[in-house]
Amino acid sequence: MSKQQNEVPYGTLDLLILKTLETLGTLHGYAIARRIEQVSGDDMQLSQGSVYPALIRLQQEGWIATDWGISETNRKVKFYSLTEAGRKQLPIEVAKWEKATALVARFLEASS
Amino acid sequence: MTVRRAVERVAALLRNRRLDAELESEILAHLELAQRDALARGLSPAEARRAARLSFGGIEQMKEEHRERRSLPWMETLWRDFSYGVAAVRRAPGFSALVVGVLALGIGANVGMFSVVDAVLLKPLPFAAPDRLTGVWEAPRPGIVNATSAPDFLDWQRLATVFSALSAEQSVSADLVGSNEPVRLSGKEVTAGYFQVFTARTLLGRTFTPGDAQPGAAPVIVLSHAAWQNYFGGDPGILSRRPILDGAPHQVIGVLAPGAFDRDETRFWKPLVFTPDQLATRDIHWLTVYGRLRPGVTLAQAREQMAAIHAAMTEGAAKEDREASIAIEPLARLLVGDGLQRSVTVAFGAVTLVLLIACANVANLLLAKGATRRRELAVRAALGAGRGRLVRQLFTESLVLCLLGGLAGVAVAALLLRVAKPVLADSIPFTAAVALDFPVLAFAGAAALGVALLAGTLPAMRMAFGNLAQGLNGSARGSSGAHSRMRRAIVVGEVALSLILVSGALLLLRSLLKLQALDTGIRTSQVITMSLDLPVGAYPTPQQAALFYQTAASRVQAAPGVAQVGMTTTLPLRWISNGEAMMVPGVEKLVRVRFKRVDPGYFKTLGIPVLAGRGITAADVEGSTRVLVINQALAARLADVAGYRNPVGKKVRVSCPGYVEKRVFLPEMEIAGVIRSERVASPGYPDPPVVYAPLAQVPSPQIKLLVRTMTEPGAVMPAIRQAIREVDSGLPLGDIATMDQVRDGTLSGATRPAWLIGVFAALSVLLAAIGLYGVVAHLVTQQRREIGIRMALGARGADVLSRVLRHALGTVAVGLALGLAGAFALTRVMKNLLFEVSPLDPLALALACAAMTLIGLFAGLVPASRAARVDPATTLRDEG
Repeated sequence: MSKQQNEVPYGTLDLLILKTLETLGTLHGYAIARRIEQVSGDDMQLSQGSVYPALIRLQQEGWIATDWGISETNRKVKFYSLTEAGRKQLPIEVAKWEKATALVARFLEASS
Repeated sequence: MTVRRAVERVAALLRNRRLDAELESEILAHLELAQRDALARGLSPAEARRAARLSFGGIEQMKEEHRERRSLPWMETLWRDFSYGVAAVRRAPGFSALVVGVLALGIGANVGMFSVVDAVLLKPLPFAAPDRLTGVWEAPRPGIVNATSAPDFLDWQRLATVFSALSAEQSVSADLVGSNEPVRLSGKEVTAGYFQVFTARTLLGRTFTPGDAQPGAAPVIVLSHAAWQNYFGGDPGILSRRPILDGAPHQVIGVLAPGAFDRDETRFWKPLVFTPDQLATRDIHWLTVYGRLRPGVTLAQAREQMAAIHAAMTEGAAKEDREASIAIEPLARLLVGDGLQRSVTVAFGAVTLVLLIACANVANLLLAKGATRRRELAVRAALGAGRGRLVRQLFTESLVLCLLGGLAGVAVAALLLRVAKPVLADSIPFTAAVALDFPVLAFAGAAALGVALLAGTLPAMRMAFGNLAQGLNGSARGSSGAHSRMRRAIVVGEVALSLILVSGALLLLRSLLKLQALDTGIRTSQVITMSLDLPVGAYPTPQQAALFYQTAASRVQAAPGVAQVGMTTTLPLRWISNGEAMMVPGVEKLVRVRFKRVDPGYFKTLGIPVLAGRGITAADVEGSTRVLVINQALAARLADVAGYRNPVGKKVRVSCPGYVEKRVFLPEMEIAGVIRSERVASPGYPDPPVVYAPLAQVPSPQIKLLVRTMTEPGAVMPAIRQAIREVDSGLPLGDIATMDQVRDGTLSGATRPAWLIGVFAALSVLLAAIGLYGVVAHLVTQQRREIGIRMALGARGADVLSRVLRHALGTVAVGLALGLAGAFALTRVMKNLLFEVSPLDPLALALACAAMTLIGLFAGLVPASRAARVDPATTLRDEG
């Protein structure tokens, strides 16, 4: 598991997970990772495992909830879904992100 | 980090293992799913497994990150330190047991004492709005308070607006006849306001209304919860029962809820009904008055109003009456007097010293232990452990020890309180509930933490910051560096604290011995006392009572084993509460006297010598000349005011209390004799002037029987009981006590802290001895190499010994000097607790110094002589 030049930028993963859960509803960890991979296509390389630390953080914030369910392979897994707090938090996170990218964009324009 | 996440993280710490397992299964499921998808894409099973792994990324890394995210790293470290601490404690069970034992004693004594301090001084009284409760007294002269008369009380009740309720009470006792032996119950007659003042709730029924006190109302009583349980078996139908009290049936109208009153001796309350006689005179002071201040009324406002009321009431009265005033004191102050407060504070101070000594011991033990761990610490430091990390770990280890010590201390405290319970109950007011409750347990926790900080910090710093390289360098040992300087300082402190305690204990012991040797003027050995209260229903006239005394005295006198029998209204060595006035012809001022009634046997039973004239005889009965006997103090007073050189034969008038009615009469009486003064109060009070009137001429329904026995008093009791039963089978004997017990009771006000401090002193001497021995022995052991070299170079054993001892005694001497300075500083505190002993009594201080020196000597001698005996070659080889 070596070169992953196009790692997910720091902090982005949380937003991607929240957005994924908003769009698709309740999913297990693998489905979330796959969905992010599919949407980002080949632009970004994701270590699928890295969704789990992000999930525990979001869970601790109370933005997502977990529930036990059965996977397609008949195994007990955790299913994640957006909580009410998470639903409210999403636009805030999006706004934050937009602000940050706008800042970076302005900065780059100004410097070039 | 948000608060929520912080909480979640702490919680996660507690279910670490489960969360790990959950994550593990999640990973497995993830890989399975990925593998399934890869198979679907047409990969071989092996390839699919590999692809799944690859796209997942580093599993272990992820787990670590997951773990880190979900919990608090510093909490984990703390937890790890704590488990190291527990492991370290278990690794050295002997050492740990020693430390925990020392702490258990120190903390236990403190927790026990604190529970008393808390109950007596800190907790509010167990009544609603306790700061509103006051005692109201007549104050004939500044600084003196008196009970009050019925008309005065009624005036106060009518005129005072500062109180929301005011009550008057008098203590009574009554014989309860039930299924068993008749019992004597203490009770109170109270006015209707009583239960409003004390806000007592009932469990069953009601308390009094003014209607219960109307003349002619059916007799009713309210029972305490304890009385209901003990004498009526908690009968739920008690309200329909009419137990017989003093021969008359009384309707039970209420039972109080369990609470503070159950610790009091009062078992029942009945309405106080004033007789016309009582309402007619203001000269008999017999009521104790309590008031509940209205909300918002200050003590000063209340005093002001009562002063105004008093001025209005005494307008135009005699000058003496106008000079008097009304005193109002908070109830809390009345219950906890200066003496008790002082005793409790000093005892708590003493246990605090004990705890400090225990701290010093623990610090010492930790340092000694640390010395043996220097190599371990040095290795850890060399491997990269930070200093802070080492300090923290060492400190956590002492914390574990201290918490264990605190736990054991609470057990010790529970034991102490259990043992001390009977004594405590006698010494503290009934309102104080001593219990190991939350504040006390919190105190125990704080004490354990305090000890950990005090005793654990220094050794931890010392060990971690000392020159750790030396620990690896095996030869650098036995030198007396900063390490031993600190230990020596601890010994100095320990010796100083112990000296203060030991000298304090010796001072109190000396004081106790002085009290024991005090001449009470009476013979107390083999005298047993009991109270006899004649029910007025059965003995309505004084003549009947007089006949009873005579018959009972002769019956008891004839009982086998009885040497002499006597009767009185007030036990010897007890304060005579009955104060009367004597009118001496030609003297304008009244002579105030204490008034006691005795039978012909009284002086003989107690061996009180008649100095002039005669004592009371069997001929002094109703109808013959009224006589009285006076004590030396009164004879001296009469010589002073009336110039009587020999008072015998002189005629005076004395106000005498009635049989049951609250009324005095003022007969002329002839002084028949003078006796040597007997002590009637605690030491420190001068003998008051006392009048002894013949019981047969001035009878009282409440008397005390005194019996001097030929053998052990307990063995004669059945015969005495039988004799009384023959005279009146329904009469119970109350308050049975030997005269020695009565004497101890009177003197104990001054002696009680003595044994307590004695116990603490013994404890501290023990702790100090352990500590001193441990430290000196350790220092000497560390010098073994030096001693070995000296011996190898030709020093004699005696030289080595004297050198070591000089060193140890030097340390002790510094401690003694400091301790003496402390003892001097505390003179003022001790002064009030001592009887005829100076707080700087040279004998006590010298003895204390000698004891500490001896311990120091012994502590040095044993290890030094052992070191001197060892073959130098062995020591040197060992150390090399």
